[in-house]
Amino acid sequence: MDLLLDATLYSSTLRAVTPILLAALGGALCARVGLFNVGLEGLILIGAFSAIVGNHLTGNIWLALLFAMTCVMMFSLLFAYMTIHLKANVIVVGVALNFLALGLTTFSLRAIFDVKGSYVDRNMVGLPRWEIPLIHDIPWIGRVVSGHSPLVYFGLLMVVLLYVYMFRTVSGFRLRAAGENPIASRSLGIRVTQYQYGAMIACGALCGLAGAQLSLGQLTLFTEGMTNGRGFIALVATMLGQSNPLGVGASSLLFGFMGSLSTRLQGMALPTQFTSMLPFVVTLLAMFFFRNKSQLADARRSNESSR
Amino acid sequence: MNLVNQIAKSLLQPLLAILVGLAAGAVAIMIVGGSVVDTYAEMWKGAFGSFYFFTNTLARATPIILIGLGVALAFRAGFFNLGAEGQLILGGLSAALTALHVPGPGWLKLTLAIIAGIIAAGIWSAFAGWLDTRFRMNLLITTLLLNYIAVYFASYMVSHPFMDRTGSAAMAQTPMVENAAWLPKLFQGMSVHAGFLFAMIGTILLFLYIRYTVSGYEVRMLGGNPLFASYGGVRRGRLMLISMFVSGGLAGLAGAAEVLGTQYRFIDGSLSAPGYAWSGIMATLLASSHPIGTALAALLLAALQTGGMGVERNTDVPLEISSLIQAVLILFVSARISYSFIKNRKKARAAADGSST
Amino acid sequence: MLLQMKGITKAYGGVIANKHVDFSLKKGEVHALVGENGAGKTTLMRILYGMETPTDGSITLNGKPLQFSSPADAIANGIGMVHQHFMLYPSFTIAENIVIGREPRRFGFINQFRAISEVAELSRQYGMPVDPRRVIGDCSLGVQQRVEILKVLHQGAEIIILDEPTGVLTPLEVKELLESVRRLARSGKSFIIITHKLQEVMDVADRITVLRDGEVTGAVDASGTNVDELSRLMVGRDLVNLQRKEQTPGQPILELEGITLAGSGSKPVLDHINLSVHAGEIVGIAGISGNGQSELLQVISGLAKPDAGALRLQGKDIKDASVRQIREQGLAHIPEDRYQWGVAKEATVADNGLMGHTDRYTKYGLIKGGKVREMVRGWVERFSIKTGSLDTKAQHLSGGNLQKLIVARELEHRSPFLIAAEPTRGVDVGAMEVIHGELLKRRDDGGAVLLVSSELTEVLKLSDRILVMYEGRIVGETRAEEASEERISLWMAGGKRQ
Repeated sequence: MDLLLDATLYSSTLRAVTPILLAALGGALCARVGLFNVGLEGLILIGAFSAIVGNHLTGNIWLALLFAMTCVMMFSLLFAYMTIHLKANVIVVGVALNFLALGLTTFSLRAIFDVKGSYVDRNMVGLPRWEIPLIHDIPWIGRVVSGHSPLVYFGLLMVVLLYVYMFRTVSGFRLRAAGENPIASRSLGIRVTQYQYGAMIACGALCGLAGAQLSLGQLTLFTEGMTNGRGFIALVATMLGQSNPLGVGASSLLFGFMGSLSTRLQGMALPTQFTSMLPFVVTLLAMFFFRNKSQLADARRSNESSR
Repeated sequence: MNLVNQIAKSLLQPLLAILVGLAAGAVAIMIVGGSVVDTYAEMWKGAFGSFYFFTNTLARATPIILIGLGVALAFRAGFFNLGAEGQLILGGLSAALTALHVPGPGWLKLTLAIIAGIIAAGIWSAFAGWLDTRFRMNLLITTLLLNYIAVYFASYMVSHPFMDRTGSAAMAQTPMVENAAWLPKLFQGMSVHAGFLFAMIGTILLFLYIRYTVSGYEVRMLGGNPLFASYGGVRRGRLMLISMFVSGGLAGLAGAAEVLGTQYRFIDGSLSAPGYAWSGIMATLLASSHPIGTALAALLLAALQTGGMGVERNTDVPLEISSLIQAVLILFVSARISYSFIKNRKKARAAADGSST
Repeated sequence: MLLQMKGITKAYGGVIANKHVDFSLKKGEVHALVGENGAGKTTLMRILYGMETPTDGSITLNGKPLQFSSPADAIANGIGMVHQHFMLYPSFTIAENIVIGREPRRFGFINQFRAISEVAELSRQYGMPVDPRRVIGDCSLGVQQRVEILKVLHQGAEIIILDEPTGVLTPLEVKELLESVRRLARSGKSFIIITHKLQEVMDVADRITVLRDGEVTGAVDASGTNVDELSRLMVGRDLVNLQRKEQTPGQPILELEGITLAGSGSKPVLDHINLSVHAGEIVGIAGISGNGQSELLQVISGLAKPDAGALRLQGKDIKDASVRQIREQGLAHIPEDRYQWGVAKEATVADNGLMGHTDRYTKYGLIKGGKVREMVRGWVERFSIKTGSLDTKAQHLSGGNLQKLIVARELEHRSPFLIAAEPTRGVDVGAMEVIHGELLKRRDDGGAVLLVSSELTEVLKLSDRILVMYEGRIVGETRAEEASEERISLWMAGGKRQ
């Protein structure tokens, strides 16, 4: 019980959720324009690596973030070109992109830093921690909410911003339209491919930040394949959240919480393997319990119409 | 003439893909300051330079071929089974534990261990299929998630209940399987083992199965249009479970063969680290799920990987160069698949417009 | 003249869809464009709407030459099109569906209140009632059609193209639609209606242009022509009248008693269906599509399981049988949607032909490939199916040829019972005659046929008995000799069974 009241648990949840949340929001944008992005995992990995490289090259954390975003956007542009222009199968390209990311980062790790496995630089400066003035002093809440990297707050802000964008603005309305019925949208003169490219590139930027949070958020370190399935969890979060930013935010929080809970449980008697397994089991269970949400929605709708 | 043309055509594009992959690799080599010619020469030597290296490549290709065949079968039936990693590991673990704990003569242990590997992996894979048919849970995602669960489960098994406590260093691995239950090597002192024969036989059987049997026909139709298949009386649920079982079973066989033919024990992480599972999936994608093509592609990927080790040994270029080449290759191929797809669609659309306006 | 199209030619590779077509439209006129499937009507209108570029020819609007490169251009010039398959966003509201592309906005944000009031105003102005807040996916097809027209009006269209607008509507909805069209025409809008339903043409049009094989075969005033003349212009010859042999039906082959299938909503999709089909008889089911016909066929063929009722084929209970068992018990099935159910597009002609026949062409689990090809080659000759070879992928066949392949495959079973669902949808006249002939022959040979079609003429032409489905129930039944189009239309619109 003490464990569940501990402020550090929730504070670490917020940290753990950020990469998943950012990537899942990117995935939601892609899903809204009809591209099921299996390549999130690879995009985050490239983000994590290029953030370290950017930091190494410029020594400036903000330029590093910018560098990471740019690099990942290039790859998402490639993804977009292949799926939209060459009409390649989205899933095949996504899988291929994950390979490319893994191959490219391990190769570059050797080529740039001449190390194998992982790269740590103690002199490197990570993301700053922002103490939020007033909230910081509130007893329990201050410890949960304050003192995170800017990306944590950015992620939460993006949930709201993307929601407003999708459901309140003309551009967001057309983006949803482009995904829901591309043929109709094209016949109205809506530039569907433009929205698709835009969504993919925005997804790239978000995944770049997700990766940066991973490699520069806590420790300044890059490990081969350090995403360790987060991209796939983000994908499930996108699906569970029905590509609605609020829903995506909620399901990401659930997975983030399970993640940090499992880290806490490692201190107890449980073997580490089981605690590491936990987020994946919970994701699977979440898929099971929320699987027919859309079917339920359909049923409710048809009920309303026949009344 | 027509046949020659066809063969030439089907060979042209993979060759082109390989060329593009090598070109990308060349750029990377130049970036790290290596000599392209030397590096590729070392790569060739590392893969095929001597009989020893050649058998090494065959040994590495063995699990990739088996996994690739399994994935190909699932893809043909229309299921994106990305769970080869977990299936491979459970197959290896089950084989090791069976060989260690079932009493009897060596040949019996060996046989039972292989069967156990196939069944355990098959059930794990069919479970994902069941979640899909019964609960409509997206197979692509569930198989991915089940991978992680299998990996951690196997890791737990060999670091707690079944850990080898005989050695001084407490490694996460099972004890060694007794000599009599090993898969024989094909050549004295070489690493290629009898598992390679399984892979060859499996390739031919799968090819014949898909092409000439009724059940293979049903698999193809199910993959082509599931509604059409069920309309025609194909039992989708049953066929899906069976093909997922066989698909996983082949990955399990790969794991069992690795454990019984190469490592003789299950070592935590030793099956994931070389990336066999993903290489198998890549081989399938490269060959558009054609069994013989998959085997050839698997051989190519294995050669790239063993060649990469040669590069690492003898030049300053890191061995990761091969994973880079593989990735570019697969990316190029995924564009190629779609390219022919567009051509088909354009033709079809022209035909449809002409007739239905 | 408001609009003039001169010498329009459009070729797709070797296929010529339009050949020197002239077409004109006056302000306030309703101009019908009629022709068989494949006559080139839709192509001509797609050219006008900027979706296709003509190979040759010119278009002038208000005396100015025009060249549209996209539908957006056409919309900007006051041309709107309502497509045969609606271009709607199912999860959006009616207001959102209408204003899309011209959303009322403030600083980039959508002004939902204005959108709703604009739509309400538009709907009042043109006398087409809709509830702007409702989600369109829940609305009837009649309402969806109305929304499509309102959308085009909201875009400011002066010329409105309607592509086969009545195919999915109930007779009542058709009447309402045609009235709206006349009213809008009086207020100055001009209409082009693409259709092959000649009676509707006579009801609504001022002028009629007939296309056959891509060429204009007639441009006449509606007052100076009749249905017979139009159909001669359309088909180019008098159709052979199929002769039906008088015969008394034999044993019941298929029997349904109280078949009920619950849907996701509160109403069952199938509500206590009773029906029987006897040997030597064609039973036709008429009705607007979407009234439970698809589900009925799925239940009979084993693709869906009923929640209640009894189902017998040749006296044997098949309620819980699998698709395969039912087929073995004597069912063949021409499915309603050939691309969805009838073929695997990526598979070859030979492979598509084998489906359902595997048991006959198997030895030790292996397929007798040579025998299969022999069988399929036989069909290709007998039905003159145009295909490159037996190894051509099904997707490269035209709709009509594919349908003939499916019909041949299902007839090959020589089963006592045959389902023919929309057997001639989207096929040309020649193929239609062949398919109709085969169905009648099957009947004459003592087969039982259940025909489901949304084309009333087809049902009337082939059936011995006619049933009408409405909202999951059978609301009317009549013998063919006593059938009248008026009575069936009334049943189709939900009128009571007498």
